[in-house]
Amino acid sequence: MSALPPFFADYQALVAQQLQRIVPDRGSHVERAMAYTALAPSKQVRAVLVMLCAELCRGQASRAVPAAAAIELVHAASLILDDLPSMDDAPLRRGRPANHRQFGEATAILAAFGLLNLAYAEIARAYEPALASRMSALVSDAVGPEGLIGGQALDLEATDHAIGFEMLERIHRGKTGALFVAAATCGALTAGAAAEPIGALAAYAKNLGLAFQIIDDLLDVAGTTADTGKAVRADARKTTFVSFSGIDGARQLAAELCETADRALAPFGRKADRLRELSAFVAARRL
Amino acid sequence: MTTEPPDPRVDELRRQLRSLGYLDVGVDRFLLGSARQQGRPLSLAIRASLRVGLLGGVLLGPAAALGVGARLPGLISGVRDALVIAVYLALLFFVAVTVASFALSALGALALRGRADSPRLERLSRAAGFALTLASVTYLTLWWRNANAGFGWSAPAWTSFALLVAVAISLLLGHAQRITTLAVLAVAAGPAASLPAITNRSWRGILAGGALAFAGAAALLVSTATAELPNAVDHPPLTVVGRGRALRVIAIDGFDPAMFDAFAGIAPSTIVATRYTLEPQDTSDPARAWTTVATGEPPEVHGVRGIETRRVAGVQGALAAGGSAVRQAAGAATDLIRLTRPSIASREERRSKTAWEVAEDAGLRTAVVNWWATWPAPPGPGIVITDRGVLRLEHGGMLDAEIAPADLYPALQQQWTAIRQRARDAAAGAVTRVSDPAAADVLRRSAELDTTILEILAAIPGPSRDLDVIYLPGLDIAQHALLSTSATGASSPSAVSTRLAALREYYAFLHAALAPLVTPSPRLDILVVMQPGRVGTPAPGLLATYESAPQFYPPTRSRDAGTMHVEDIAPTILAGLGIPLSRELSGQPRALLFIQKRYVDTYGRPFVAATPRTGKPLDQEMIDRLRSLGYVK
Repeated sequence: MSALPPFFADYQALVAQQLQRIVPDRGSHVERAMAYTALAPSKQVRAVLVMLCAELCRGQASRAVPAAAAIELVHAASLILDDLPSMDDAPLRRGRPANHRQFGEATAILAAFGLLNLAYAEIARAYEPALASRMSALVSDAVGPEGLIGGQALDLEATDHAIGFEMLERIHRGKTGALFVAAATCGALTAGAAAEPIGALAAYAKNLGLAFQIIDDLLDVAGTTADTGKAVRADARKTTFVSFSGIDGARQLAAELCETADRALAPFGRKADRLRELSAFVAARRL
Repeated sequence: MTTEPPDPRVDELRRQLRSLGYLDVGVDRFLLGSARQQGRPLSLAIRASLRVGLLGGVLLGPAAALGVGARLPGLISGVRDALVIAVYLALLFFVAVTVASFALSALGALALRGRADSPRLERLSRAAGFALTLASVTYLTLWWRNANAGFGWSAPAWTSFALLVAVAISLLLGHAQRITTLAVLAVAAGPAASLPAITNRSWRGILAGGALAFAGAAALLVSTATAELPNAVDHPPLTVVGRGRALRVIAIDGFDPAMFDAFAGIAPSTIVATRYTLEPQDTSDPARAWTTVATGEPPEVHGVRGIETRRVAGVQGALAAGGSAVRQAAGAATDLIRLTRPSIASREERRSKTAWEVAEDAGLRTAVVNWWATWPAPPGPGIVITDRGVLRLEHGGMLDAEIAPADLYPALQQQWTAIRQRARDAAAGAVTRVSDPAAADVLRRSAELDTTILEILAAIPGPSRDLDVIYLPGLDIAQHALLSTSATGASSPSAVSTRLAALREYYAFLHAALAPLVTPSPRLDILVVMQPGRVGTPAPGLLATYESAPQFYPPTRSRDAGTMHVEDIAPTILAGLGIPLSRELSGQPRALLFIQKRYVDTYGRPFVAATPRTGKPLDQEMIDRLRSLGYVK
């Protein structure tokens, strides 16, 4: 597995500190369940994307930290729900037992909702009303029927069924792409960016999000639990990118999507090199 | 070493990803970005076509400004004018390309007829793109032909570059149209449609071509606007082989050749050596007709096509107006919406040098008084009292290039009161035998104007000059006021007869007023050019030379030496001054047959850079004056 870009560590530390501050860990069962997933070691790619986009649009990373934490909380909530027995029934997540295996299914559901609420509260508390309102709407779209929830619903329907490519794209767009785009957009919004750079960053995130998901599909097919920190071959009952194009084809398309994401950064010039490093990292995630 | 064949499954996935908005971040997003959420083909076509139109406007506007500048001389007088015209034309092309793009997309959607298979979508979208490319490249090629005619950019390198730019612009527009049509067809066909691939690689070349096209058009635009400045000296040296004799040219407008014999010449005290009948021509527009006399070129070459022009809002240059009813209606309409405003023909519209400008280039001393389309006076050494000169002397105030050199203005101002008084006195004497008060008023006004012009010529201080040119409008003004259709509409024969008699009195006045100017002198040659003025049908004019040096003018058995073209007058003047003739001139010298003709390739173009102007323009006053004299409506 390819190493994260060196600059990731600083951003991860900022997000981790923020999450430590806002995720309650006062001993109750559900609070421990929330912290179990939200504070678990992870790459925090989406949160770092928020801060990189903010900086690219001449904003401060520190101002983007609450938005980054909120995005990370949403992602953590989605992971808990995704792993539930009624969903993917995954035993492992981030190298540890899945949340419902550790705290029980009911608590896991409550923890997921707790994290989701915490995300909206973080946005509402950290930003001025107009910006908070806009970002809440963005996150809501990314979570709702056109985002995570819609993607997960389609994914459930598609399990054990052959689906077309368009349906697969909709699933991935909802489950992964929507939150990537929301992360990039929220980061740019914290910097007060105009429509054009936001559009370019959204194009970057859209292509990168799909590439990220294709690599995930590849890892599920040919990776190991040690590499991924979760159970592999879990998608055997599902149609994936690999089903359509084979391993080499999927890898090629992922690389092309990352190249396209980089082209979207052309208006920013060299300032966007860190985002290019991020896309290079995504493209190079090895089996 | 073997290369694995491409996996068709990957190609198919790539195509589908593009149709879903992945793998492309370029102009497609520019074209379809705002239309992404549009669910209906019509609204998508409108929004995408607007963006294709925007591309078309940006790319074609500057190029078209070049073509218009070449075709309509005087419209573009500097970089600012060029930019304003480019903006106007960009708006025009924005609308035109938008409409064309929408029409092509709509036609494509109509042609679908329910068959939405991938090859059909591909064919239709390619056809739409090809149609726009073809239209664009055809237009740009025709544009180049016209622009080239105006600027002489016939060098193969220039032409190759221009065509390269034209092709790049056309390809860019065609590709944009193809994308737009494909998107419209996809929406029209519904979600089940299978979309063809759009190769991403072609964009690099197309974008580079678009950037080249824009830079090329902009560079040509700026170079054209500034390239005319050095043309003022863009001619070979004009070596004068003179005879030590000056030349005086007197232009009389409104002269009926039949009256020439009736008065035995305009000045019977002198002997007319040679007299040529000028071929009949349309003299209804004096600015056009007398600029032809001054330049020796027809209107389509010298560029002054009418007394009335239109100035475009924000542009210093002017457009020719008048002509057909359609053009007049269009002019009135654009005036109404304040896009244009009426103006009077000026020197800035002229593309050919006048005889006196060539004489100045040859180092001779010249003076011209009251000739049409001479304002604004150029900042050269020659004396120019423009067609606004009298108006400026009447109004006073700071000069607005009505008189050059500027230091002549105060000298004339000092004499102005005396000049006007003498003119009034002379005019009063002109009408003593005219019984009709209205006709007397007309004649008095005309006589006062002609006398003022003659007095101004006489008042010009300084050393004697090699060439004096003067234009007298009084006879034409009187004739037009007394005998035009509107003036005689319901008059009785006796009233018409009275007016004719009054007009004859004006001939007598002119005869007396001009006598001092046409008196033979050993060091002076005289040409009198007479044209019939604003008459309804083309009529002949006269060119008379006054004998003062028999060894110069060959003796003729008959005083009538035949006919000549109006375009021959300027070459005759130049040859008489001993200046080599330009091979570009349309006419040939006729009167001075024995002089050996010498030639140069060109006289170059007139100096069209903006003349420094500080005073309040007399634009409206000039229009009011010409309206009161019956020149403009």
